[in-house]
Amino acid sequence: MPSKSVVYTYSVKLMWPAMCRNRSVEVLTERPDLVDQMNKFRVKIDNVLRIVCRKHFQIDATYHMGGVRLWFESGQDCYDFIIRQPEFEWEVHPELSVINSVTSQLQTFKIVYTPTGVSID
Amino acid sequence: MAMKSAYITVVGNLPIRFDLEQARKIGPVIASANNNKSIVFDYATCNTETNLQDMLNSVSFRESKLLVPEELFKKYVFFDGVTCLPDFPGLKSYDIDPAKCSPQTLAVMLAVYLRQTIVFLLGYDISNPIELTRLKSIMIANPNTKFMYICNPPGTYQLDDLENGFCDTYIKFQELIDRAK
Repeated sequence: MPSKSVVYTYSVKLMWPAMCRNRSVEVLTERPDLVDQMNKFRVKIDNVLRIVCRKHFQIDATYHMGGVRLWFESGQDCYDFIIRQPEFEWEVHPELSVINSVTSQLQTFKIVYTPTGVSID
Repeated sequence: MAMKSAYITVVGNLPIRFDLEQARKIGPVIASANNNKSIVFDYATCNTETNLQDMLNSVSFRESKLLVPEELFKKYVFFDGVTCLPDFPGLKSYDIDPAKCSPQTLAVMLAVYLRQTIVFLLGYDISNPIELTRLKSIMIANPNTKFMYICNPPGTYQLDDLENGFCDTYIKFQELIDRAK
């Protein structure tokens, strides 16, 4: 029986560490220290996601100046990742993208942080 | 990839005595909120939080796509089965508010949106004039889709004035399923 294909429905962008943000590719070729830090950051994300997620996840390989795009199969995993930011001292861009399984469109919502968790606007 | 079916079944607000598993053999089945829990549905429409919470805890909807209006979706975005209802074309001209209309109206609109050529309506309540008018509006706006209203005898004549509206019995529906399988 063929295995069920994985659909990554939820996506957030995790910001690079402050000193690595908004660096052009040109700058990065001259700053191997930043590249090294970014690579270590990606490894750390991968390790954390292995701990947090119960279902599949993916770290987008495409380089973005702002941060790393992460994809989650499960909404619960995505929620857990967002609310556990302080534990790992990093910053999620307050925007959640969700693929609509009926229309196949990517819908984007604002993440609003509240004292009891997060809500979506 | 599975071949797209030409048929889709909408189960309305009313209770029915028919094995819906049979209907699933010829195409997807859409439930209207939690009115029917006899099978595992492919899709279900819902616009109240109470119903949605019940559906999230029902076995019948565990594998279903639960389609809800945007405001409700935002509240339940992290629940895997919950999906935002699409922007149905012509919604304003029908004067239908997805947050306030009946789940069966949303189910028909979803069926049409999914572009199936024949929509079977089972347990669909047309005794309410508003429901009937809305159904007719959707039928008029989608002349290429056939709507088969399935009921027990005597049939209804309420849809006879429309070229794409038909009424038939559960026995005929079963025969059609047997032929199509």
